[in-house]
Amino acid sequence: MAFLRGGRILLVDLTTRQVSTRPTADYADAYLGGRAVDARLVYDLVGVDAEPLGPDNVIVFGTGPLTGTPFPGSSRLDIMARSPVTGLLGNANVGGDWAAELKFAGYDHVVLTGRASSPVHLCIHNDVVELRDSAALRGMTTSQTPAAIRAELDNPEVKVLCIGPAGENQVTYATVHCSVGNAAARTGMGAVLGSKNVKALAVRGTRGVPIAAPEPFLEACIAAHEHLRAKDDYPEAHTEGVTRGEYAFVLSGSEAGGDGHAGVDFDPSGLTDFAAFWRRYGYKRTGCMGCPVHCMENLSVPGLGGAVMSCELYPQLSWEVRNDDMLLWYEMTRACQELGIDSTSIAIALQWLMELHAAGLLDPDLTDGTPMAWGDPDAIRGMLSRTVDREGFGDALAQGMRAAADYLDARIPAERRGQRSTYELALQVNNNPMYGISPRLMSMALAYSVGRRSDLIQELDIPQINIVAAPAYPRTTSEDREQMIEHETARVVALTGEPGAADPDVVDGKAEIVHDMGLATGISDIAGSCKWHTKWFLDLEPEHYADALTAGLGREVTLPELQEASLRMRNVERAFECRHGRRRANDTIPRKEFGKPISRGTAAGKYGVTETQLEQLKDEYYALRGWDRATGVPTRETLVASGLGDIAADLARLGILPESSVTGDAGAH
Amino acid sequence: MPAYSVIAVDPQKCTGCRICELACSVHNYGEVNPVRARIFVVRDETGGLISTIPVVCRQCEDALCERLCPARALERDTTTGAVVVVEERCLGCRTCVVVCPFGAPAVDPQVGVAQKCDLCGGEPTCVRVCPNQALVLVPAEEESIRRRRSEIERYVAALREEPAPSAGPPVATARPHGTAGAQGKD
Repeated sequence: MAFLRGGRILLVDLTTRQVSTRPTADYADAYLGGRAVDARLVYDLVGVDAEPLGPDNVIVFGTGPLTGTPFPGSSRLDIMARSPVTGLLGNANVGGDWAAELKFAGYDHVVLTGRASSPVHLCIHNDVVELRDSAALRGMTTSQTPAAIRAELDNPEVKVLCIGPAGENQVTYATVHCSVGNAAARTGMGAVLGSKNVKALAVRGTRGVPIAAPEPFLEACIAAHEHLRAKDDYPEAHTEGVTRGEYAFVLSGSEAGGDGHAGVDFDPSGLTDFAAFWRRYGYKRTGCMGCPVHCMENLSVPGLGGAVMSCELYPQLSWEVRNDDMLLWYEMTRACQELGIDSTSIAIALQWLMELHAAGLLDPDLTDGTPMAWGDPDAIRGMLSRTVDREGFGDALAQGMRAAADYLDARIPAERRGQRSTYELALQVNNNPMYGISPRLMSMALAYSVGRRSDLIQELDIPQINIVAAPAYPRTTSEDREQMIEHETARVVALTGEPGAADPDVVDGKAEIVHDMGLATGISDIAGSCKWHTKWFLDLEPEHYADALTAGLGREVTLPELQEASLRMRNVERAFECRHGRRRANDTIPRKEFGKPISRGTAAGKYGVTETQLEQLKDEYYALRGWDRATGVPTRETLVASGLGDIAADLARLGILPESSVTGDAGAH
Repeated sequence: MPAYSVIAVDPQKCTGCRICELACSVHNYGEVNPVRARIFVVRDETGGLISTIPVVCRQCEDALCERLCPARALERDTTTGAVVVVEERCLGCRTCVVVCPFGAPAVDPQVGVAQKCDLCGGEPTCVRVCPNQALVLVPAEEESIRRRRSEIERYVAALREEPAPSAGPPVATARPHGTAGAQGKD
C-alpha cells in the first residue's frame, strides 16, 4: 500500500486529450516527493529545445508525503516547468487546499504535456478525469473562476486551481491561484498554463490517504504542533503574521533599500505600520489547510472589498514604487491577485520604469502617454492594466524586463542612455524581478545568485535580516532588540563555527548559512509542507519531519536521508538549469548593486557587497554543494554520489560535463 | 441527569485550517480523509471574505437521530453522554442524516453505516488539535454561560478599541464591513 500517498501520477496529454497514470513509487522511491519528484519529472520530460510557452514545455503539480495530513503547514503544492521569465527552472509553491484534495482523489502529481486546441479546464473527481470546455470562463478573475466551476459541476466542495486574465494572455509574470489569497506567484507558471490553454484544474477527492501507523503518526504531528506553539515567535505570528517584522525590514532599509527602491528622497509618512493596517481593516486571520499559524490577513476595506494579504506583499506596490497611499496599495495588490499577476514582479518592473523616468530617459510617449512618475496612481493603475491586457508598451513589459529593455533601447538613442542599455537599471536575476530584500547584504547577494529559480527566498539568511532590522522593530524595547541580535548571532555562530558569521561585513560563514537554509527548506518542499515551519522561521527540527514520515510511511526515515534527498533535488534542478545554459556567470546580481551601501533606513550608509566578495562566496557555496568551481555545474562525482549517474551521462553527452574526468572538489559529498 | 461534556464551537475563532477534520479521520479510520471525518468545516469565500464554521454533532438532549432511527442503532453512551452508533444494528438508511438539523451524521462511503461524533470516548481529538480554541470541551450546562462571557469579552474589547483578549483567536476588533463593494472591480 502506498502509505502517505495518493499513489498515482496523473499524466494528461492536452494535445491528444489522452489521460494515463503511473505509480508514484516510480519516482518517489528515489526522490521521496514534492518538489524533488517534480524536478526529476521536469528533467526527464522537458527537452532542451522546449520553448517555455510552447507545447513542448511540461508543467508539473506536485504534493509531498505529508501534504494533506495533520502535520503542521502541510498544504503545499509545488509547481514546476521551464520558466518563461528566466528560460531556466520555473518553480512556485502555493498553499491553500488544492494539493490535499488532489491526494484525496488518489494522485500525488499531475503532469500536463502538449497544448489543448481550445481553452479547457481539467476536472478530476477520483478516477474520473475530464477536460471540459472553458469558453464560458474566459476573462474571469481568480475569484470568479472557482465559483463558476463549482456552479458548473454543482459541487461546492470542489477545489480549484486557476489562472486569471494575465495567465490567459501569457503575461510572463502570471500566477496560478488556489482559493483566495494563495498564489504560486513566481517565474510565470500562470503563463505556462495559459500557453497550454488550461484555465483551471478542479479536483474533488474522497478516497483518502492511508497511514502505516496512524496513532504514532498523529502523535508525531501533534508533537510538531506543540513544538511550534511553544516557540517565542509563535503568538505574534499567530495574531498579526509578520506585519511587524515586514515593517521593520522596510524601516531598516534591508528591504526596499536600494537606489531605485523607496529612495532617499521619498516621504513615507502616509504609509502606516503594516500591523496598524491589519488592526484597522482586519476581518479575520487566515491561513492554509493544516496550518496552525494563520500567517495571512483577511482584510476588508470599505469600497474596495475583501482580500488576503501577507508578508512581503506589503512593501511592494507601496515602498517599492514610492506610493505613499496604503489604500492604493491595497487596491492594486488586490487587483494583481484577481487578475493573476505577481505583484512582486510588476512592482519591480514599475519601479524600473519610474527610475528610468526620473533619470529623464523615459518620455511619456514611450509608455502610452502616461508619465511613469514615482508613486503616480495613474501610472501604476494604467501600466498594470495594459500589461495584463497586453496593450501598448504593456505588451512589451508583459514579455519581461529583458524584452521591455530591448523595446526601449530601440527607441531611446544610445547617446541619451550613455551607450548603456536600460536593462542595466533593472533589478533582476536572469530576468526575474528581484524581491524587495536588498542584495547589498552579502548573504542575500549569494542567495539571489544561486537560488533555484533566480531568487533568494528559499535560501534567505533570516538571522541576517533580523539582525540588520532589529534596531527598526516597532513596539520593541532595547533589551528585546539586544536579545534578538544575540539569539540570531548564536544561531549562525553555532552553525558555522565562525565568530563573525552574523556580521554583515564578514564573508566567513555566509556561504554555509545560505547552503544550510536551502537544505532545510528543501526538506519541507519535499515533504509537502511549508518552509515557514523550518528554521526559516518557526524552527521545526528536521527530526519532526523524520518522525512523522517514519510513522506515516512505515519505514525508518532518517535525518541523513532527508538531507541527501534535499541535496539530490537541488542537483537535479541545477543540472536542468545547466542543460538550459546556466553557468557560473549567470549566478550574480545586477552590477549596479555592487559596492553600494543600503540607501535608506536605520541601516543607511552601511554594508554593501563587492563583486570580489560575491565571487568568493560562490566558490565556497559551490564547494559545499559539490558544484564545479569554474562552471557552476554539479560535478560528475557529486551527481554520482547523489544517485544521478544517468544525469551525469546526459550532461556529458551534451558536452556540459567532460566525458570522464575529475573536476572541482566533491564538496559535501 | 449526569454531568456530560460537549464540544463547544466558536466560529469566530475558527480560521478554517481543518486540522480537526484531518486528525479526526486519522484517529477514527487510520487514514487522512475529510469525507470520513466526523467534524466538517464549512467554508465560504464570497467577496474575498473568508467565513468558516465547524459543524459537529451537538449531542442533542432530545436527539432526533436517536429517536427516529428505525433500527435503534443510535443510543446514548451513559459515560460520555454522546449519542453513538451501534454499527452492527445500523442499516445505512440515512434517516439520521435526514433528520439532523445540522448535517452532522453521515453514512460512511466505505463501510456503509452511519458515522458520527462519539466524543472519542470523552477526549475529543479535534479539541486536542484545534490551534485556536475554536473547539473546546465544556460541561454541557456551562456552554451557554461560557458563550455569553466570550461574547461580552469581545464587546468590551471593541469598546476599548483593543484587540480581543483571548490568546487564540485572531479576531480583529474591526467588524466586517458591508460586503456591497466586496466584488470591487471584478
